[in-house]
Amino acid sequence: MAEAEDYVGGDAEWDEPEEEADAEEILEGEEATDAVEGDSAEAQQGPRENTGPRTTTRYLTKYEKARVLGTRALQISMNAPIMVELSGETDPLKIAEKELREKKIPFTIRRYLPDKSYEDWSIADLEIQER
Amino acid sequence: MFYLLKLIKEVELHPKFFGPNLRETLKNKLTAEVEGTVSGKYGFVAAVPDVEKYGQGKIREGTGFATFDVTYFCIVMRPLKGEVMDCVVTSVNKVGFFAEAGPVQIFVSNHLIPEDFDFNAMEDSQFVTTDESIRIRQGTEVRVRIVGTRIDATEMFCVATIKEDFLGVVGDPT
Repeated sequence: MAEAEDYVGGDAEWDEPEEEADAEEILEGEEATDAVEGDSAEAQQGPRENTGPRTTTRYLTKYEKARVLGTRALQISMNAPIMVELSGETDPLKIAEKELREKKIPFTIRRYLPDKSYEDWSIADLEIQER
Repeated sequence: MFYLLKLIKEVELHPKFFGPNLRETLKNKLTAEVEGTVSGKYGFVAAVPDVEKYGQGKIREGTGFATFDVTYFCIVMRPLKGEVMDCVVTSVNKVGFFAEAGPVQIFVSNHLIPEDFDFNAMEDSQFVTTDESIRIRQGTEVRVRIVGTRIDATEMFCVATIKEDFLGVVGDPT
């Protein structure tokens, strides 16, 4: 994560937890437009990590939940190592849901804000609402 | 000439490798992808002795793959104009001879071979001095000075001379 080195100070409090650093990945943005817009903006100045305390919601939104579960289920279906104990589940989506319930999905969500800055939230830091 | 460079490459990894040996797998994949290739900018990548830093993974949406920015050291070989190097002759014809030094193809034209060498097509084509003491044929080791280089995406080609003091044949296979 090269961009993160650009800013100095204030990181200790909310840097991503380094647990399982081996299998940590960043799930980028929420909207599909990110790829298009983000690329050109990156060329000009580059998105930067937000300094100061994080301001976005501490709840996992339903869109994030959908994307996290979908991506994780896809990875599990492609033989990715599973982070939880299984009790007979075989459906990748069911396994992904179980991982999410136990907050064991090794993702960090990068939430882009309209000014192109972003905040990183580890799944483990987010509140997950059962519905 | 050889250089030690620090480069960054984005390496894509399949989800099945997201385990305890992730970094090792990344390094192997990087080495396999990079070693032995020629890049127009840097030349021939001979080896990846060390990886400095593995970046954080980023998920490729839709495929489930993750990409990592890997900062690595590599040894690159790049021929330079004016450089003197040893090479082995691969083929000889009447306009000159071709030689190779590792990944580099070298051509030495007739005009850049001393005048006392004559082309002899009789017994497997070769250049012979008038007193028949020195021969340049397939397998001969020669020392050349590079006078021109061209580096494409896939190969490195040089034009060289042996018409200078201390250049020429340094060893013969027979």
